[in-house]
Amino acid sequence: MVSIEGFAKMLDYLPYFERGVLYTILLAFCSVLLGLVLALLLAFMRLAKGKYIGRLLRFISGAYIEFVRGTPLLVQLYIFYYGIFTFITVPAFNLFGFIDSSRFIPGIVAIAFNSAGYVAEIVRGGIQGVDFGQTEAARSLGLTQKQNMRFIVLPQAIKNILPAIANEFVTIIKESSICSVIGMAEIMYAANLVRGATFRALEPLLVAAMLYFLLTFPTSKAIQAIERRMRRGDER
Amino acid sequence: MATNDNILQAQHLFKTYKGTIHALDDVSLDIPRNTATVIIGPSGSGKSTLLRSFNLLEEPDKGEVLFDGLVINQKKKPFKKPPVDLDAVRTKMGMVFQHFNLFPHKTILENMTLAPIKVKNMPQNEAEEKALELLDRVGLADRRDAYPIQLSGGQKQRVAIMRALAMEPEVMLFDEPTSALDPEMVGEVLNVIKDLVRSGMTSVIVTHEMGFAREVADTVVFMDEGRIQEMGAPSKLFSNPSSPRCKDFLSKVLY
Repeated sequence: MVSIEGFAKMLDYLPYFERGVLYTILLAFCSVLLGLVLALLLAFMRLAKGKYIGRLLRFISGAYIEFVRGTPLLVQLYIFYYGIFTFITVPAFNLFGFIDSSRFIPGIVAIAFNSAGYVAEIVRGGIQGVDFGQTEAARSLGLTQKQNMRFIVLPQAIKNILPAIANEFVTIIKESSICSVIGMAEIMYAANLVRGATFRALEPLLVAAMLYFLLTFPTSKAIQAIERRMRRGDER
Repeated sequence: MATNDNILQAQHLFKTYKGTIHALDDVSLDIPRNTATVIIGPSGSGKSTLLRSFNLLEEPDKGEVLFDGLVINQKKKPFKKPPVDLDAVRTKMGMVFQHFNLFPHKTILENMTLAPIKVKNMPQNEAEEKALELLDRVGLADRRDAYPIQLSGGQKQRVAIMRALAMEPEVMLFDEPTSALDPEMVGEVLNVIKDLVRSGMTSVIVTHEMGFAREVADTVVFMDEGRIQEMGAPSKLFSNPSSPRCKDFLSKVLY
């Protein structure tokens, strides 16, 4: 059962949890960033025009998105870690003494490829949500399609999808707990470790749950604040 | 020489939407330099489609659009460079939209300087100086740091006109510039356009403002059902239209 001594014992293992939190933050941050880049690429492919090349690009990104959404993250993680990354040598390094690149890199890549499948549709919606008159105005001023994307459409699209991206960051903080199964030393991994060391089941898990919540809750709040601030430009 | 008297030419343009509606049905129109051409007609008559065909925001299905004697709507072949640099041609045509289409995430000054800086590679201070000069002309220099949302409709449209002028175009295209405005703001925008026309700027204007058309136009073009039904000097067309359609239309809008 849960007891005061149980929680007191957790204090002895605080460094494990501390590392876990740092690991989780880094893992989620890198994954979202890489995922966003991939998502942009997928979204542009999805919006490609043209009869032949365009159709092919649309098909590839569409198929990818459906596949990623239709299969479990755990399976995808295993495919990357035990499959694809057995053929790829990652540069060996060790961050802060406990982030081991041989697990960290396959982990973030797997999560990013998964996240991209979801974020791509968000990005596409955001780009299509920008009034087409904006593009017409930009093009009529002589901006190229690329310049229009970069200076006019994307800044407005990103602003519109920021809440959804933030939500994705929060989701990934939580879902990255699955990475403990390949030995990535994040929060859940720390909880398992402490569980084995102390023979206490509930307390480490409650600590882990609390740590996850302490990460996700302020993140959502912070994003809401930024959103409000960014919107100030178009109000009044 | 002969062709270049006309800055813009439309030659036998055809355009259908969804395969049924004829937005443009064999339309040809020359826009001579330093003139104002006003296009009138009922909604859905194809007048906006024609205007938007001039800078190829709308691509005609058939026919040719010429800028300064050069065909600009040749089809691009796959894997080949386009025969005409449309972006470069578009910098010479300013366009003003019914709904202004200012960039909401940029300040008024940034709206004005974006294209000169990014497209013409003008130094920022030079672009800003010029933008302020233009804004001053329409009395809006003090709103340089405001965002579009903070401006009235009339102010937005005046900024939009100046934004187009900042690129120093050779011709201005106006697509119903006052249709989205509150009535009390129509005058201030029309006055800006009037001044522009008087200064010799070649203009093509789609509008429902008949009094304005009569006052500024060198040529009035009446369109209906995707065709030019009648065109001529405003004095002739407004007081003595020859086609029954034009007569009918004018009797409904001039009261």
